[in-house]
Amino acid sequence: MARHVIVGGGTAGWNAITTLRELDQGDSEIVLVADETPYSRMVLPYYLARDIAESHVYIASPPKLAALNVDARLGARAERIDASAGKLILEGGDEIEYDNLLIATGSSAVKAPVPGADGKNVHSFWTFPQARAVASGVGEGARVAMIGAGFIAFTILNALVNQGVKLTVVELESRILPRMIDDTGAGIVQDWLNERGVEVRTSTQVTSIEDKGDAKLLKFKEGPDLEVDLVIMATGIKPNIDWVAGSGLETNQGILVDEHCRTNVENIYAAGDIAEGPDAVTGEKVVHAIEPTAMQHGRVAAANMAGQEVAYKGSLLMNIVDVLDMEIASFGAWDDADAEVFEAVRPERPAYRKLLFHGGRLTGAIILGKTREIWTTNDVGMLKGLVYTGVDILEWKEHLRENPFDVKRAFLASGAAGGLLPETVLGRPSISAHEIAISS
Amino acid sequence: MKILKIIPEKCTGCMRCELACSYEQTGTFQPSKAVIRVSAFEGHTSYAPYTCPQCDEAWCLTACPVEAIGISPAGAKDVADDICVGCKLCTIACPYGTMFYDIDTHKAFKCDLCGGNPACASVCPTDAIVFEEADKTDWVGPFAAERAKSPAGPLAGVL
Repeated sequence: MARHVIVGGGTAGWNAITTLRELDQGDSEIVLVADETPYSRMVLPYYLARDIAESHVYIASPPKLAALNVDARLGARAERIDASAGKLILEGGDEIEYDNLLIATGSSAVKAPVPGADGKNVHSFWTFPQARAVASGVGEGARVAMIGAGFIAFTILNALVNQGVKLTVVELESRILPRMIDDTGAGIVQDWLNERGVEVRTSTQVTSIEDKGDAKLLKFKEGPDLEVDLVIMATGIKPNIDWVAGSGLETNQGILVDEHCRTNVENIYAAGDIAEGPDAVTGEKVVHAIEPTAMQHGRVAAANMAGQEVAYKGSLLMNIVDVLDMEIASFGAWDDADAEVFEAVRPERPAYRKLLFHGGRLTGAIILGKTREIWTTNDVGMLKGLVYTGVDILEWKEHLRENPFDVKRAFLASGAAGGLLPETVLGRPSISAHEIAISS
Repeated sequence: MKILKIIPEKCTGCMRCELACSYEQTGTFQPSKAVIRVSAFEGHTSYAPYTCPQCDEAWCLTACPVEAIGISPAGAKDVADDICVGCKLCTIACPYGTMFYDIDTHKAFKCDLCGGNPACASVCPTDAIVFEEADKTDWVGPFAAERAKSPAGPLAGVL
């Protein structure tokens, strides 16, 4: 019986487990090595908002893992890989032999190298323990500084503001959400935040974080000091690849994988934030540290580990975040200087659209507008469908140049739906994880 | 398994399906909360209803980080409101544009085939929407594409 060893119990690892069991009904050994009980990072902002209980955050409880016949080594950490012997060596010296190994050890938050960044009440927001630390420090009237105005920062903005936090967002670059939207979009969002009592300081570099009694005092290269009760550092993440050094795996920013999520070693796979795999639009290898990529990587890797030959079309960069009832989403190569760009702003609503074309192909998009309005058109999914399939919509291009808000008919006429319908990653209809039947 | 088969050539654009859908789903006549939507082509001379094709890949279901989306006895991908946290991942994962978000309930919502008796099909006066055994196919695409390829080009079909 083949033994699949999975290192890491996040989205990629968990999807690999459910996919393996969906395909083999229990006819393999699965060993999960995870230093924490698996949980869903995606829902941590809702935990911070106190919308959901801690139990809601755990995706794979020990009983659930047991029901899937998984040998779960929770609390264990992988130390290194002996690829020639086909062994994973754990911290403490235990060894696990594998037929297939999946590396899904994710990424870690990186704090900006600022004096005081490791002091008390200065937290990242990436792991469940970090989310707990932030949650215990915020509430009505708390003063919070958010260092970094990227996607992760914005996912928890609602939770903070809606609890009565006095929030100041500080960004080193000249605009907020610098890796998710462009200057025009960022300007609209910044005005929206200012009107709702959130202070935003862009082009601002923190030079130190000091203690001032129980409070924190932030000093900047330019501009007035800022006194707060809590600091959140949302200054980026990096793949957890240090431990695979010396294993013979090819790495760049992450572990390089092909369209099967396979590394340069035949029976070693990587998935999720740690994997650097093909981009659906450009074909280049990239790390897309986003939930949908982790899910798809996990499924594709598992199908191949189970002996199927499943090739992956590549991951699509996409993000969506709701900021105090304004919806912001971007897809694909939205920041491409070589693309033909159509854009329109409706400042009174406000709303913004940006469509990026190469020939007849939509290669990227930004969509921004009031939450209440966005979901009455539902162009969000259609833009995803157009960018992901790369279907030719040349006949609608001139129309979209003048009317970038009128995506729906172009989508319907594109045949994108017809192309997508027969496609399934596993070559058969997906089932819910609740429906997986294990024969024993 | 029965699906919603759409024959756009028969659609008159009466929008009863949108009204019935929103009433069945939310208890109010509010087309903005319908999960079937009618589009106009060629200057409002042709119409096509469009809704979730209940695709086999089930992009919404696989994307959900809390396993809130399952498959109902009627064969519909369905959101469990008590599990959904409203993260909207399903709305960007679904490449069909048929996954919605309700700003009032903070939950994702979609076509659930009304539990096996879809209101849109029941009220359609011309049988442009029927609920029957049929292939999962792109019912609207060819109709919409023909209208885009009219000699005057797609702009001729637009308001």
